[in-house]
Formats: sequence, C-alpha cells, structure tokens
Amino acid sequence: MDGELLSDTFVELTDTMVAGFDVIEFLHVLTDRSVQLLDVEAAGLLLADPRGELRVVAASSEAARLIELFQLQNDQGPCLDCYRSGLPVHAADLAAEAGRWPRFAPAAQQAGFTAVQALPMRLREQVIGALNLFRAGPGAFDTADVRVGQALADVATIGLLHERSMRRSETLNEQLQTALNSRVVIEQAKGKLAERLGVDMDQAFSWLRDAARARNRRLSELAQAFVDGTETLIGPARRRPQPGSWRKPSAPDGGS
Amino acid sequence: MTTAVAPLDGDVRMTLSRQSRIWGLVAGQAASHGGPVSVSDACAAVVTAVQVTGAWLSAASGTESAGHLISVTDAVGERLAELQLTLGEGPSPDAAADGGPVLTSDLSETEADRRWPVFAPAARQAGAVAVFTFPLRIGAIRAGIMGLYRDRAGQLSHRQLGDVLLFADIAAILLISADQAGETAAGFGPGGQPADLAGHRAEIDQATGMLTEQLGVGITEAFIRLRAYAYAHDRPLGDLARDIVARRVRLGPDPVPSEDDQA
Repeated sequence: MDGELLSDTFVELTDTMVAGFDVIEFLHVLTDRSVQLLDVEAAGLLLADPRGELRVVAASSEAARLIELFQLQNDQGPCLDCYRSGLPVHAADLAAEAGRWPRFAPAAQQAGFTAVQALPMRLREQVIGALNLFRAGPGAFDTADVRVGQALADVATIGLLHERSMRRSETLNEQLQTALNSRVVIEQAKGKLAERLGVDMDQAFSWLRDAARARNRRLSELAQAFVDGTETLIGPARRRPQPGSWRKPSAPDGGS
Repeated sequence: MTTAVAPLDGDVRMTLSRQSRIWGLVAGQAASHGGPVSVSDACAAVVTAVQVTGAWLSAASGTESAGHLISVTDAVGERLAELQLTLGEGPSPDAAADGGPVLTSDLSETEADRRWPVFAPAARQAGAVAVFTFPLRIGAIRAGIMGLYRDRAGQLSHRQLGDVLLFADIAAILLISADQAGETAAGFGPGGQPADLAGHRAEIDQATGMLTEQLGVGITEAFIRLRAYAYAHDRPLGDLARDIVARRVRLGPDPVPSEDDQA
C-alpha cells in the first residue's frame, strides 16, 4: 500500500471545512482513493436521503455505478444489507451467493465482479450510507485492506457529520440535498456530453471531470454551466478513448 | 456533538409507498375543491402534513429561481415571499443560489441577523419564527422555490423533512407541467400518481441530457418532451430512458414548430 498516498488521503478527507467544499467531489475522492490504495477494482457509495431513499452518489467507474443502481432497483445486495444493519458485509465468491442475493449475485458477476465488501458509513447509531468495494477475482479481502477501507469510510463520515454539527445541525441536510441535486446535474451533463461527442456515459464522465480539473472548476458547477449552455465544452470528439488519470495504474490483480 | 439527525429510515422499500402517500395528500386536497391537481394543492397540503403555519410557492422565470409568486396559504406567507422578492435577501434567494434547502429553525438567533440583516427582523415582525425554503429543482432544471414558516421555533423532524422533500418533488413536476397547456398528466402513471423515479433516476437524467442535443432544446423542455413521449407511447419513463441511453430510441426535432403547440 502506498503509505504516502494513504496519509495524503486522510488529510484530504479531513479537510471538509474549506471554502467551496463539494460533497460530491469529496465522496468521489473516497471511491477513487479506495481503488488506488486497496486491492480492489472498483468502489461505489450509497448515501441515505431523508426521503427514505438510498442514492448512488459516487462510484469509481460506470460499471460500479450501475451495479450500485442495480442493488437499489432490485432492493437487494450487500450495500443494502450493510446500510440496514450498520455492519460490514462481505462475500468472497459471488458464485456461491445465489441463495443470499438471487438477483444481485449473477448481475455482479456479469459486470465482472466476483468478490464484494460493503462497509458502513456510520457514526455511533447513525448510519448515513455504505461504501462498496468490488474485486474481479474471488477470495477473501485482505484484512489490512478492510481496516483501511473502514478507516477511510469513518474519516469521511466524521468529516460530513461531526464538522458540520459543530456549526449547525441542519447544515448536513442542506448540503446533502445540494449534493444529491448536483448528482442529477452531473447525470444530465453526462447525457448531453455523451450525445454531443458520441461517447458512452463513462467516457463522458471522465471527460467532464478532466475538463473541471483543467479549468480548476468544481465539477458540479461546470456541469451546471454546460447544461445551462453558458459554458461550451468544445472538445475534440473521441479524443481520449481511455482517460486514465483516475484509474489504478497497475495490472488488475497486482497487489499494492 | 451530533445531537443532529435522528437515525435514518432503514427501509428503501418504504420510499414508493411514502411517495404515494404524499401524492394522495396532494390529490386529496385537489378533490376537496373539485379541480385538477395544481401546485396550490401541494402548497396547501404540505402545511397540514408537516405542521407548519403557512407556505408559499414561487415559480422560476428564466434562470432566476425566485420569479413570481404562484401560491400562498396565508398573509404572513405572502409577506415573507414579497419581502424576499423586494429585498433580494433571505432564505429563498439563498436556496436558489445554493441549490439546496435553507433550514432556519429560529430566526431570532444572531446567525439569522448576520446572514439577513434586513429580512430577519422584518420576517420576525411579520410573525415568522422558523423559515424553511426548498429549491424546486431537478438537476439543472429550476422550477421555483417552496417556502414554509412556523410561528414558533423548532426544527423539522427527520421524517417531516423527508416528507417536505417529497412534496417539493411533486410541486416541481406540477410547476413544470403547468407551463405546458393540456399536458398535466404526462409523467404521472395510472391513477394519476407520479412515476417511480427512484430506481431509474440516473437513466432519466442522462436521457434528459441527451435529448437537449437530439432536439436542440433546453433542459426543461427536454424533460417535458421525454415525459410527453413516454405518456404518448404508454411506456414507463424509466424504460424509455434506458432505451434512449442505450441508443435504441432516438427523438428527432419536432417537425411542427413548438411555439404552435403551446396555447
């Protein structure tokens, strides 16, 4: 495990009181760093909305986002079990889990995931969501990886809950709703960009995120401006088929 | 420390029935006066459902979220809406700018005066002690603002907040639909209920974005056209959205100029 990246990540996830803090960006850092630091291929994150609904707010790839959505649509899967119980849930080989999750297990395998670990985002009795880690190959998750993954989830949860409650207890709900709406804006922008450039949603998202970084803009802000038409993201179509900056650099099964 | 939010609802399956219950309250309000369901019904129903004193609702005009007043339940609500339109200051403009709710459980706290030096004292004088404003938005689509007030201090409970957000979702759809003559039913399933958006939200949002390009229209109209197409072809919105995202269905620009369609 990259110790320097790990300590940088903890600093990043603690730093939630900065001006222009963006919950969506913050949670994307959590999923992306999970993939970079741990021996996993993908990560996804569900957060609870006061409407009583779980929402997919961040994912390290489109495949991870889709499998998270699948859990919500089918009301079944490790992330939901984890959220409802507030306890970690894992499966070392989804091929053996058809009894537990008859719809989720085959769908996850079809998406290329064989092992899954779900970690609660929890502070005392309050569970606000769950972080899902996916691996392509079967086998138990490394205990050190699980510990670090839970520590990342904990730091993020405390960053969201604790820091804000010191200011005003209503702020988390305000920010959460803003974040959920930002998520919708980003999906709308992905659709518009995917159609304009003739690319898929995953590529559209990478493109959008790269554009935000290049312009030093917040992702949700740039997405809003692009959908509003006040900002034109004229991009050479199909210029970057595989934007790799946020992906794990090494081979899929190379331990880190 | 976190005295904050009550433990969250564990059951995702609740959402649809909860959404149906809220829709039932809005529809019931409409039935009581015998007219078709409108945003005013959402405004009136939310007041009794979450135990606030009054509410107001304003529609967006252009990219301005707080445009003109559409509905109020009492004189204090009207005064609060008016004050903010006049002053350009208060929780409504802030909710519009931030894109998230602004929840103020006690206007007499110094933070309120610091944040809104003119509005806060004026609102207290008008008789409001707690004010909660909610932007009516679907991503980049801005429909307006819903405001609630109480004549006493106190937070919305976690359950009340969830309910208000569901009322706000319905109000947003009704406001957008109201712009389209004779199109109020689109997007509502059999029995007049809102379609289940929860599970297919992302595809609907992506498809809406794609339609802005396919049809060469703004995001609000793209959403209206998506729902109208689903309604006209008797298809669930989520299914249609998935087909559009998978590029199995494509909507061309309307051959008839859209101005002619609108009454």
